[in-house]
This record gives sequence, C-alpha cells and structure tokens, in this order.
Amino acid sequence: MMRLPAGIYHETYRQDQQWWQTRFVWARMLFLFLLLFVVLPLGLPMLDASIGRYVLGLANLVGYFILGALGVQLLIGYTGQITLGHAAFIAVGAYVSALGMLQFGLPYPVTLPLAAIASGLWSVLFGLPSARVKGYYLIMTTMTAQFVTVGFIITQYVAQVGGRGVAFSLPPGTITFGPFPVESELSKYYLMLVLVIGALVVVANLLRTRVGRAWVAIRDNDIAAEVLGVNVVRYKLLAYFVAGALGGIAGAYWLTSLSAVSPEHFEFALSLELVGMILIGGVGSLYGVVFGALFWALVPEAIQFGVAGLYPFFPELFGKLSPLRLVAFGLAIILFLLYEPKGLAYRWWQIKNYIHLWPFSY
Amino acid sequence: MRGERAREGARGRERAREGGEGGEGGEGGEGEEGARGRRGRRGRERAQEGGEGREDVMAEPSSRPIQTQDKIIEQNGKNRAVSPASKQTAPMHEVSVTDELTIPKLFIHKAHEYADKVALREKEFGIWRPTTWREYFERVRALALGFHALGLRRGDKVALIGDNRPEGLFCEMAALCVGAVVVWIYQEALLDEVEYIVNHADARFLIAEGQEEVDKGLQILPHAPQLEKIIWDDPKGMRHYTQPSLMPVNEVERRGNELQIAEPDLFNELVGQGQGSDIALLFYTSGTTSKPKGALLSHRNLLKMGQNLMRVDPYYSSDDFVSFLPFAWIGEQMMSLSCGLQAGFTINFPEEPETVMHDLRAIAPHTMFSSARLYEQMARSLQVKYADSTRLKRALYQWAVGLGGEIADKKFAHAKTPPLLRVQGWLADKLVLRALRDQLGLTRIRNAYTGGSFMSPDHFRFFHAIGVNLKQIYGQTEISGISVLHRSDDINPETVGLPLPETELQISPEGEILARSPAVFEGYYKDPEATRKTLHEGWLHSGDTGFLDDRGHLVFFDRSKDIMLLSDARKFSPVYIESRLKFSPYIKDVWIIGDQKPFVTAVLCIDYNVVGRWAESRGIAYTSYPELSQQAPVYELIEKDIRRVNQRLPESARVRRFVNLFKEFDADDAELTRTRKLRRAFLHDRYSAIVVALYADANSVQIDTVITYEGGQAAHIQTALRIQDVVR
Repeated sequence: MMRLPAGIYHETYRQDQQWWQTRFVWARMLFLFLLLFVVLPLGLPMLDASIGRYVLGLANLVGYFILGALGVQLLIGYTGQITLGHAAFIAVGAYVSALGMLQFGLPYPVTLPLAAIASGLWSVLFGLPSARVKGYYLIMTTMTAQFVTVGFIITQYVAQVGGRGVAFSLPPGTITFGPFPVESELSKYYLMLVLVIGALVVVANLLRTRVGRAWVAIRDNDIAAEVLGVNVVRYKLLAYFVAGALGGIAGAYWLTSLSAVSPEHFEFALSLELVGMILIGGVGSLYGVVFGALFWALVPEAIQFGVAGLYPFFPELFGKLSPLRLVAFGLAIILFLLYEPKGLAYRWWQIKNYIHLWPFSY
Repeated sequence: MRGERAREGARGRERAREGGEGGEGGEGGEGEEGARGRRGRRGRERAQEGGEGREDVMAEPSSRPIQTQDKIIEQNGKNRAVSPASKQTAPMHEVSVTDELTIPKLFIHKAHEYADKVALREKEFGIWRPTTWREYFERVRALALGFHALGLRRGDKVALIGDNRPEGLFCEMAALCVGAVVVWIYQEALLDEVEYIVNHADARFLIAEGQEEVDKGLQILPHAPQLEKIIWDDPKGMRHYTQPSLMPVNEVERRGNELQIAEPDLFNELVGQGQGSDIALLFYTSGTTSKPKGALLSHRNLLKMGQNLMRVDPYYSSDDFVSFLPFAWIGEQMMSLSCGLQAGFTINFPEEPETVMHDLRAIAPHTMFSSARLYEQMARSLQVKYADSTRLKRALYQWAVGLGGEIADKKFAHAKTPPLLRVQGWLADKLVLRALRDQLGLTRIRNAYTGGSFMSPDHFRFFHAIGVNLKQIYGQTEISGISVLHRSDDINPETVGLPLPETELQISPEGEILARSPAVFEGYYKDPEATRKTLHEGWLHSGDTGFLDDRGHLVFFDRSKDIMLLSDARKFSPVYIESRLKFSPYIKDVWIIGDQKPFVTAVLCIDYNVVGRWAESRGIAYTSYPELSQQAPVYELIEKDIRRVNQRLPESARVRRFVNLFKEFDADDAELTRTRKLRRAFLHDRYSAIVVALYADANSVQIDTVITYEGGQAAHIQTALRIQDVVR
C-alpha cells in the first residue's frame, strides 16, 4: 500500500479505492499523458524525423510487449498459474485477425474483438488442466499449448488456408480503421496507446474488484480461497480467458507492424521472453509489466549502441556484433536477477517510499 | 491546563493546616498526601521561595534567569494582568453569549445553519464515516425525547462513560437538551471510582459504551439506588444481557421518534426552557487528594470560555479537529463541545485508542489540544526513526532541526531573524521540516496547545524548531479549562502566556494565582466548604503559585510542592528533571526521588518498543519487559542519557543512582492519576524497598509485589532489580 501524505482521508470506500488521490499524482499523470500523446509522437519528429520514427517504432514494440506480458502477469503474478505457452494465444489472435481480413474481408476493427474472443476461448481450453494440476505440471501443460497450437495446428492447417503459402502477406491498405490506414508509425503508435491504456485500465479495475481479489486469493493459497467460497476452477478459467484475450489483442495489434504473418513470429522463445519480462519487471505488479516490457525492448537497443560505439576501437567486433549483443543481454538479465530479484517495480516502489518516508526509513 | 487538578495542591496558607491531616485520606486518590504532609510543614516559606527554587533547578547556560515573584512585584509593581486590548476585538460571526443562550439552543441554531455540512466523522472499518449536522440534530432530538420519555427531567444527572465516539457526543448533547447535567467518567476508571461518582452525583442514568462499561454499571447497580437505567450503544458482546435496567441506545431513539410524532413541539419547548446560568456539566476532578470533587459548570461558563479562546485563536467551520483525549477531561469538552459548536469545525473520532497517531496523521487537524504526553510521544517517535535512519539523513535532520531551533530561539526572544538564517530556514523547512510535520500529521496545524502537565523546554523548543505553533495553556476545570494562553506572536517557553479576553489575573500576596472571568465555575457539588475556600468575590483561587513577568506573562510553578529539598536543604524540581529525562526516546517514565535524602535518585521505566528495537539491532536477547529492563547494556544506555541530562543540571539536582523498573507505571495500579501524573506518595509506599535500596549501598534489590489488571485480577511478581551508579 502506498503511504499517503498527511491529511488525505476518505469518507467512502469509493474514495478509498481511487487511483490518483493527491494533486501531485494528478500532475504526474497529466505530465505522462502529455508526454505520451503529444511530445513523443508529435514533438520529437519535429526535431528529427528519423529519430522520431525510430523512437515510435521502439514504442510500438514496447506496447506489443506490454499487451503480451499483461496476460502472463495476470496468470503468473496474480493468479499463480505459471504459463510457458502464451505466444500461442498471441498467434491465435494474429491469425484470426489476419484471416478475418484476408479470407472474409472483415474490417480490422471487427477482427480485433474477434481475435480477443477466439484467443480467450482457446486459452480456456488449455486452462482446463489447471483444475487438476499445479506447479511444474502446469508448466508442462501450458507448453503443450505452445507446441500444439503454433507448431502443429497453425503450421500444418491454418497456414495452409487459402493456399497463400506459410506466410500470409499483408499488402498495404489491408489494415484500416474505417477510412484511415494504419500504416505509418504514428498511426500504429496511437492505436497502440489506446489499446495499451485500455487494457491496463481494464485489468487494473478487474484487480480491485471481487474477481481480482479471488485471483489473488487463489495465488496465495488456493485451498484457503476455496474454503472462503471462491469457485477456484471458475476463476482460474476466467483468468485464462482474460489473459488469452489480451494475448489475442496483442497478436492482432502486431499485424500492423508485420508485412507478412507466419508461425515463426510466435515461437516458444516469445513465450519465454514474456515470462522473462515480468520477472525483470516484477511479478504481481502492473508497473512490472510496463517496466519489464521497457527493459526487454530498450536494453538490447542500448547494448547495440554501446557495441557500435566500440566499433572504431575494435573493428574485429563487427562480425560478432549480433552474438555479443545476446551475451550482453544475458549478462544484464543475470545481474538483474542477482541484484534486483523482486523486479523493477519493487525498485520503483522503494524509490517512492524513500521519498514518502523522507527523512526516515519507515 | 497545568495544575488543573491542583485545587487542593499548594495554597500557601491552607497547606500548612491541611497538610498534616492529608495522610489518612480515603481511597486511591491520595497519591500526594504523604509527600504533601511532609512538605506541608514548609508550606509558608515555599510560597516565597518558589521562584528562587525554580531558578536554581532550571539554571542552564542558555536560559535567561527567571526573576522571582517578589522582585517582579517590587520592580514593576505589577501583580495583575489582563488580556492585551488589541486582541479583544470580536471576530466576525461571533456568537453573542446572552443570558438565555445555552449549548442546546446554539446547537439547534448551528445545526440549521450548517445542515448538510459534515459535523462529525468516525473512522470505522477503514473509512471516515461522516455525520452531517442534520443527522447529528435528528439523532440528538430523538435521544433527547427518548430520555424525556424515560423520565429524565431538568436538573437530573446523567453519567456517561466510554471512549470518544459520536454516540457519546450525541447522548451528551441530548441530555443537555433535556436540561440534564452531564457527568463524564474516565473510561478506565475503576469500579469504586465509578460507584463514588455515580452516587455522589445522584446520577439517574448511566450511558455506557459497551459490554465493559455495562458490566461496571451492573456491578454498582445494587449500591446505587437512584440509578435507573444503563444505556449502551455498542452491541458487541451484549446479546445475552437481559437485565431490565439495560436499554440499547437505538431503543431510546425509537421511543424518542415516537414522541416526536406525538408531540412535535416538545423538543423545542424542552430546549427553550434552558437558561445560560443552568448547570451543564458536573466535572469530577480526579483527586490527587482525597475524594474527587464535582465542579459545576454552567452553559454560560462553557460558551464564554470557548468564545474567549476563539477571540485569541479563531477556528473556522472548515477546520478539522481530532477528538482522542477522554471526554472526562475538561480540555476535550472545551474543544469538542464549546469550540466545536461555536466554530462549527468537524470533529473526527479515531478508530481505536491505539490508532490515534495514525488517524491523527490521516486527518491532519488544524487545531489540537493535548497533554504534554502526546507531544512527548510524537517527539519520541521522530527521534526513534531518526536513530534508525542513514548517516546522510541523520546529518540533514540535525542540520534542519538545529536551524529550526535557532530560529525558534530568535522568535522566543523577540529578536529579528537575520536574512541569511531565514533563507537557510526556508531551505531546511522545504527539505526536512515539512516532511517531519507530515510524519506527525501536523502539516495543517495552526495552533497546537499543550496543558495539564509540565512540558520540558526541550520538547517545547523541538516543536517550534520543526515549525509547529505550540502554545502553553494554563487553567483548571474550575475555570472551564483555560484562563491563560500564549499568543502566536508572543511565545515564551518559560511562561504560560497571557490571560484570555475577559479574564483578569492577579497574584495574591502569598503568590497564589487568582483568576476572574465569566468562565469561573459555580461551585462544587454538595461541598459548600470547598466552594467557599476556592471562590472569593468571583476570584478563583487556583492553589498554584506563580508570578507575572515584565511582559505580563504568567510564570507558573508546577505546584510549589513539586519543589523538593535534599537533606542538606538544597532545592531541586523532580518534575523538571523528569521531563528532561523523558526527552530521551528510551525512557518512557521517570520517578525522581530525593526529598529529604542526601542526593537525587531515579526509578525509570524504559520504553519497551524503542529499547526493544535497540536491543534487537545489537543482538541482545530478551523475552519480556522485565527481562529487557534488567539487561546490563540497557543500563549502560540509560546511564548515558542520564549523564547527558546531568550535565545541564545543577550539581545538587544530578541523578546519582538509578534503577530500571520491571514494569511501566500504570494508572490501573494507581501509580499514575488518570491524567498520567505520578502519585509520588503512593509510589513511595509501594516501592519503599527500592527507595531504601537506592540510598543503601546495595547494587540490587529484591522485589515482591502485586500488580492489578484492568479486570481486577492480581498477579504476584517476584524479581531482582539492578541498581546502578551514574558515573560523574
């Protein structure tokens, strides 16, 4: 719980549960809003168009990661259901959306919710074993989702639909929002912002309702939760549905950044990366999703810049640039888990506490 | 309200007479009797010597010398003081206190004026549930008519016992509306205290909070023939109580609402019958001497006192106030009832007594009034956190509080603050002091009052250093709580300030403080003898000694009997040494011994939480308070603090030997009064073995005693206590 400044009190539970309770937080949020909606997309390209495009492209990657990792966070961080197959549901979303547009000529805004529902239901299917199995065994069953869905069903059957070859190419003009094509980085960026903020708001609200409390109860002790009257299986499946739906939205959104969609985009590695994101960001925190996604997208870029900077001094590095990047990234993760085992969100919380409790430690 | 219960205390002339007989006083309360008897012999001299004695014990390099009372009278010819004229202008919207005005009449007026504004809040299940003035009014009306239906009539007494909660205030206001007299009893009062007060006051109704208080009521019922009904409001644990004398408060309200439908004008009629001179409260001063006495306070007394207080420090209807001190303390009645009604500020009730500090912080009140104890606790909480903080933060804290202290000293001395210091102070405030105030919940405080007991200059200066406008209040129940107060621009930690508007202050030739104001009480209930002794031609004889300094401020000696003499006739002030020692976060309570002894010794109660944490951080194992208190390192720790305090005390007043007690002092063991003052004579009796050992050459003492729990059970304790010499 956040420590509030003196003189903030609540007469109703509604006030008690408000997100932004102090003027300072309102000001911070306003600043963030301006930064995200005005400065980054409009102000930056004015300074330098190519840097602007680069930053927006990176921001879109971050948004994609957030949407994907949000579902993983919901399952692992809030419901305690370890999942290693989340890329499967992103894939389902991407293919439902792509097929909807290419095969059935549906507009993109219609395929988005369809993708979400289809992924959600598909996720529930693979969530069913969770009624019986926990822990390591659950890891196995969720991995099955990955291999069955992407490796078998999509590669062998779905990708053959319409005889387009394994990769469905998405010609320009395929993805439009009404009359507006979603092609420029800027338009993708705004779509991403709306989807990410919408998803975060929905999940954050879910978490402070009965549903969210039930999930946390199941995470902390499923037997105790059941004793308290929580229908464990139902809420677990609900968590799978919401997580899958979020994955579906992520997949459908990512189509905008792809020229062609193929099963390689949704490999097992992506599933692992999503888990890595929430581990680095912080398990059981929405901030953790954002921080983890930022880390995962930005740190490799930073390493690349760093390695590129070394190039004039060590020209022989050039050929090894790409593997070196991976080594550095791996090292960064190891260091992180060593020194920041509770994730970036915890560090963020500590920084806030440091300020709130100033000049004391508690 | 320093010296609030001083009534009997130190009236120069009478003391010599009364002192001797004091010894065999009645139950519980005679804490001071023995000591008083002994000191009584010297009563007369002390009145004159008090001033010098004070100077002696308080001598320290930085403090300016305090003139004695005699000098003042000679030099300035000044022994009367009135409120500064410029301050007497009445603020806007002031209520005019006429002879007809009563608290209920004002209540009805205010309830209609404020209507949907929040009157009260109570923290329950994590949120501050509000009650608007309209709801407040409706509940009071229902209760008042319910009481009327039950047979309560004008002039009857209603005893109330319980924690601070809205229902307590509703019932009090309702009883006042009917014209009854309200008697508040301390919630933790023991059975015989409750019985004595209920019977002495002839209370017909007892309004109890919950099961615990109802149990007390039921037990005294057979001995209290006039007691008819026990009314309760907290249903917890009450399910199986079927006694016919019991009634839940909502049943009273139900009957009241029925009566309201039957006779819609009755409530206004009942309230209309009231006169300003009617008695509103019957206040029992918990006796440090003999049986408690009941002071009768009229509506006019209370209203006038609040009005005059607010002429000095105006409060506004947008203000917040936290009600956490017992309603049975006049200070709380003064704020919650009189000022609360006149200013219309919101009164907030904490969730539990244990959560007061937390709840206080949540509300961040604009004004507060408390005994020195709470401020000591606040200062201690900061000191403890400071000690656990990192080096950088500690240095910053030192720098900021040091600067704040310098600025506070300039303010006390009415000197100009140099611009450089002011800039530094601004920086210190933004960087650290603001955060410190936020930690305590004093970010919005305009006026913080302390009264009721002696506050050490260390504490007083500390609060001004962190930017809290802390003021001393002096007064007693008999003058409705307050007669003398610091003004915001004229604060002096050595004095208690200037008289309120409409209050005259006079120092009698014997040095006694006399006061006259519209708030002076009507007399003691059923005790014309005591009334006659206390009231002469409208002048209230406080029983305290003091003098007026050259700025007209009252300097008050914490009851001259609190100056003690060593066996070689050198003076020291135990209260002063005690409060100085209590500035250490590790020491919760101190009892200084030395009257008629060769040197000063101390019995200390460590602060369990603070010392416990300190011990944990050093790997010292302990399982309980008694064990922790006897650890050698703890003794070293305490000795270090004693040595530090000793350095600033005159040689005669230095603590030479000390012992850590195996328990904290507790009002339930009759070691403290309900306002948490030491009962020295009682302590002397109870711990005579310790006293003997302290002055013998022993380095430990065997203790064999009985402690009483709140429920009345007793536990037998046998333990050995270390005694340690303080290295000079």
